[in-house]
Amino acid sequence: MTEVAAFAAWLGAAVIVLSDGRRGLALGLAVTTLAFAVLVWLGGEQLAAVALLLAGGVACFKRLRTGPDVWGVMPSGSTARLVLSIGGGLLSLWIATSVMTGPGAPVRFAALSVLALMTARVLGQAERAAVLTALVALALSVAMSAGIADTSPGPAPYIAAALLAVGISVLRVAETNAA
Amino acid sequence: MLPELAVALPAAGSISAALLRARPQAAFSAAAILGLAGVAVVVLARPGATSDQLGISLSLSSESCALLIVAAAALALVVALSPLLVERSILLTWGLAGLAGMAAIAAATSLEMIVLIVIALSVMQAASVGGRSFATRLRGPVLAAALLALAAASARSDGPPILSHLAAVGLVAGLCAALGTLPYIHEFEPDERTATSPIPWMAFIGPVLALAVLMRARELVPSEGAAFGAMMIGLGLLNMLWGSVASWRTEGGAAAWHYSFMADWGLALCGLGMAIADGQRAALLLLYGILLSRLPLYLWSRQSLREKRPNDRPINLLAAAMLAGAAPFAGFAARVLLLRGATQLYWPLALVIGLGLLLWLPPSLRLGRSLGLPRGRQAWGVGIALGANAVIGLYPQPFLALAGL
Repeated sequence: MTEVAAFAAWLGAAVIVLSDGRRGLALGLAVTTLAFAVLVWLGGEQLAAVALLLAGGVACFKRLRTGPDVWGVMPSGSTARLVLSIGGGLLSLWIATSVMTGPGAPVRFAALSVLALMTARVLGQAERAAVLTALVALALSVAMSAGIADTSPGPAPYIAAALLAVGISVLRVAETNAA
Repeated sequence: MLPELAVALPAAGSISAALLRARPQAAFSAAAILGLAGVAVVVLARPGATSDQLGISLSLSSESCALLIVAAAALALVVALSPLLVERSILLTWGLAGLAGMAAIAAATSLEMIVLIVIALSVMQAASVGGRSFATRLRGPVLAAALLALAAASARSDGPPILSHLAAVGLVAGLCAALGTLPYIHEFEPDERTATSPIPWMAFIGPVLALAVLMRARELVPSEGAAFGAMMIGLGLLNMLWGSVASWRTEGGAAAWHYSFMADWGLALCGLGMAIADGQRAALLLLYGILLSRLPLYLWSRQSLREKRPNDRPINLLAAAMLAGAAPFAGFAARVLLLRGATQLYWPLALVIGLGLLLWLPPSLRLGRSLGLPRGRQAWGVGIALGANAVIGLYPQPFLALAGL
């Protein structure tokens, strides 16, 4: 189950990287959030899982209300982003399973792949909707990376990330900014 | 409960100032009272004591408390003697938001919490009206957040020793990306408002962030102390050279100030990287100087830079002497401590730093001239900044003791 959830987290992040429209971005964010919540729930942090789920739900709802009203998945000229998604996923998989050792490889893969892909999405020349969606997923992945430890970090980082995700979702970016 | 209040009170001050924007006097009063209460809480906080009232462990170190107090003093100075064209309540709104973020960074006991706070601050800053695009303003802090999170993940995982080496590299690179101490990491627009420019990352939030990251880094990768220090010193020397030469030779006056912050950070990184008492003391004095003197002088130079009216009065020469780290200012004491520390560590390093210090003179003269002829509030502000810096330079011990050094 954890392996499936980890793969789903990467898949959701890949959809965010490949999408420009609000529906595609919301779908990617929903898949990633759900996968993170499953991983955290199975790790024994039920309260944290619910917080992630709620934050992801709010963020997806807000995303569906703003941004270009299309799916926008893999528009023309997105070959580089496709290569990035697959390459980033493979590199994260190698690091999480071969370089890093010990239990918890699915959590490591989920956290590293989403962290790397969302950073690339923000650093690339993206539209505001895509950047905000990537920031939400990035915040959640930072909390997930706190779970890569022998001792559980407790619910605090997950709840803090969930609050930040909600804050980013309801944020009104000044209109004078170009992107 | 004190660390929680140290975060909550300035945050409440900032929010109330933003909500009462239509009534500037009420906004200013509410924000000032809440801000002062927040500073009082930091003064009363017992360094090292952990609070767990909200389910999150929070603790303020003595070094962080000292820098928070100095940052609050710098904010009070800038707000009380604000430049004529800047509205005080706006300055206080942004300043208190930054102070709340700094208190949260200082109180956080895990690197992930620090990273989340950095993301929150960067998003708030990028979302406001500014010359650069939303995505452009996010680039530096988001890169920093990602590098720090990856470094923490590497440090916590089991595996070959290369993971802890990578963690050390990630921590140093992430810190430099957050501060903007490498060229082109933060794009600088000379005409942009200071609050939304990269300057707050370098000159206001930076000092507390650097100390907090270094404290967490020592816990995460205790075996990488030597490599960590070497990287900090290497980047410090690079910043010294690049920052001072660019500050001297660049065309724009505002850009020269930006590079001068970078040069000062170079010295501070060298001090922090030495990991011996003299190095830490030197770094702290330099950070005091950035917060209490260089940042206010930069703000007061903005109008003169726009009007292109440099001046060569004695006050300009005094400001130049302070910026160059001449005696009796704090920069001089910091440089003496830094050279002593470098000599203890490896004498050729002291030689390199000593030669590098000569590069401060030409840009400092230029920056001193760029202040123009300070009048009214601005003249008082320059005088107080110079006086405070001289007091720290002449009697550094109480200020070092405040930070437990």
